Amino acid sequence: VGSVHNAAEKTAQDHQILGDMLVQADRLCRSRDPLLKGQFRHLRDRIAALLDLTAPLVSDETAPLASSETAP
Amino acid sequence: MSAQLRRPDPGGASNPFADSPRLAQLAALTRPELEAVQLRKLRRQLQRLHASSDYYRTRLDAARLDPGALTTLDAFRQQFPLSGKADFMADQTEHPIFGQRLGIQGDQVALVTMTGGTSGKGQEIYGRSQRDVHMLGHLHALPWVLAGLRPGDIAINCVPAGGLTTGGWGPGEGLRIIGATAFHVGGTLSTDAKIDLMLGIRDVNFIYASTNYLHTLTEGLLRRGIEPREAFPAMRTLFIAAEGYPVEWAERIETLWGCRLQEGYGSTQCVGFGGSTCADGVLSPTGGRGLMHLFEWETMFEVLDPHTLAPVASGEMGELVVTNLAIEGSPAIRFRTGDAARFVSHQDTGSGRAWNAIECGTIGRFDDMMKIRGNNVWPAAIDAAVFAHAEIADYAGRVYTSADSKTEIEVRIAFAAHAEPAEDAARDHFIQSVRAAIKERTNVWMTVIVCDRESLPEFSYKARRWRDERQQGYRL
Repeated sequence: VGSVHNAAEKTAQDHQILGDMLVQADRLCRSRDPLLKGQFRHLRDRIAALLDLTAPLVSDETAPLASSETAP
Repeated sequence: MSAQLRRPDPGGASNPFADSPRLAQLAALTRPELEAVQLRKLRRQLQRLHASSDYYRTRLDAARLDPGALTTLDAFRQQFPLSGKADFMADQTEHPIFGQRLGIQGDQVALVTMTGGTSGKGQEIYGRSQRDVHMLGHLHALPWVLAGLRPGDIAINCVPAGGLTTGGWGPGEGLRIIGATAFHVGGTLSTDAKIDLMLGIRDVNFIYASTNYLHTLTEGLLRRGIEPREAFPAMRTLFIAAEGYPVEWAERIETLWGCRLQEGYGSTQCVGFGGSTCADGVLSPTGGRGLMHLFEWETMFEVLDPHTLAPVASGEMGELVVTNLAIEGSPAIRFRTGDAARFVSHQDTGSGRAWNAIECGTIGRFDDMMKIRGNNVWPAAIDAAVFAHAEIADYAGRVYTSADSKTEIEVRIAFAAHAEPAEDAARDHFIQSVRAAIKERTNVWMTVIVCDRESLPEFSYKARRWRDERQQGYRL
């Protein structure tokens, strides 16, 4: 039980880091550089997927979906 | 091999739940906790699709389902209508290219995949987002890490890479995100060239192949007098998918290679693997077939009687119905796969985990069934009968109409190197043994004849050993 609790704490930390990264990646996606825009998008959506893969398993509500829709 | 004989050690796959904190969490979920995760993800998925997909919005509204107010999985299963291949084909025909089920903007499609078209009923088209492509990789990495693959390992991918299939792109993504060193040899090198490459590498840790191709590769090694377990002492995992096999074949493969044989169930609609043997291998510790444990927090599975559409009981065969909980581009929601599997409830798996399971080695297709002389015959059943004989390298079958309008079935077998009985009497006895094994599993007597190995086709992915030529016999 203890190790699972520790694992949950570690995963929650990872999830928090990824949430912060997604905010930054959304900013990158505002780029108009045709060479980099798609690459930023690629990075951003990888982060979004990882955010979902590290979401808390046992909670009242999961985090909202980090979808391919970028923040305005 | 009896249950008492020692099986190969699982090596690095001995306890993936100890190695991975995330896997430990997933393994510790109780069934109510797992279903709560499913419900939360499902509600989120349906809310998103109600806003983004006309196909699914129409279905939700017709079922009077408000995604935000969904409180039980049962309500979803009872009210939301099933979709099938014909529904998806009609959707994409009426609304090209991807149909109204796409659920994302067209400019967010980062990968296009199609189904194989082997059904003869058209090819479904799927558009996946960048986020989905990562999930595609994850849904390959997940079963492979469970099976013992680790960062830095050397992996041989025998499945043809790229193209338009999900299976062409998923392995590459999965191996990259794990951090394995991958050689994508499928479809690009002959079997002998693959063997030469592997001998040069020597320290290969992992092979991914269709069941049929692992058989071909093993046969190719033996034909050259190479013992796989001696040539590749670092091999930790053989991972197969896509086709059924007899238990005896799996036992022989583990013995020949000196490592565990693992299996996954996957499909285009699952966007990779939906379940796997984890670290346990395809053989049960008590003898017989092992289990593939389903990744139900990513994909929701139902196993239904294809006629009544009622859930089957644990231990019974049924049709797999899938719902993607984490895929946003062209998601499958209550999609009838046509895949036949034996369902095993989490309470009966003996794993201690809350994950439901399906039986290894017996996945089939309901639409592969051949009606022969009033009997329902599945190619997988004939595979099991034929490959229970170690002497047989491969076979091909055809059903045809004879000159006097009778249904005939011909099974052409080719012997493995040095395995053909020298005496005519012994050879006839062997053929009768194969005939009897086929009759026992199918209730149909078939004609068995011997042919050269070279006269049989070689398949780099899914084998298509059977041809139904009966209609040709009716041509005037």
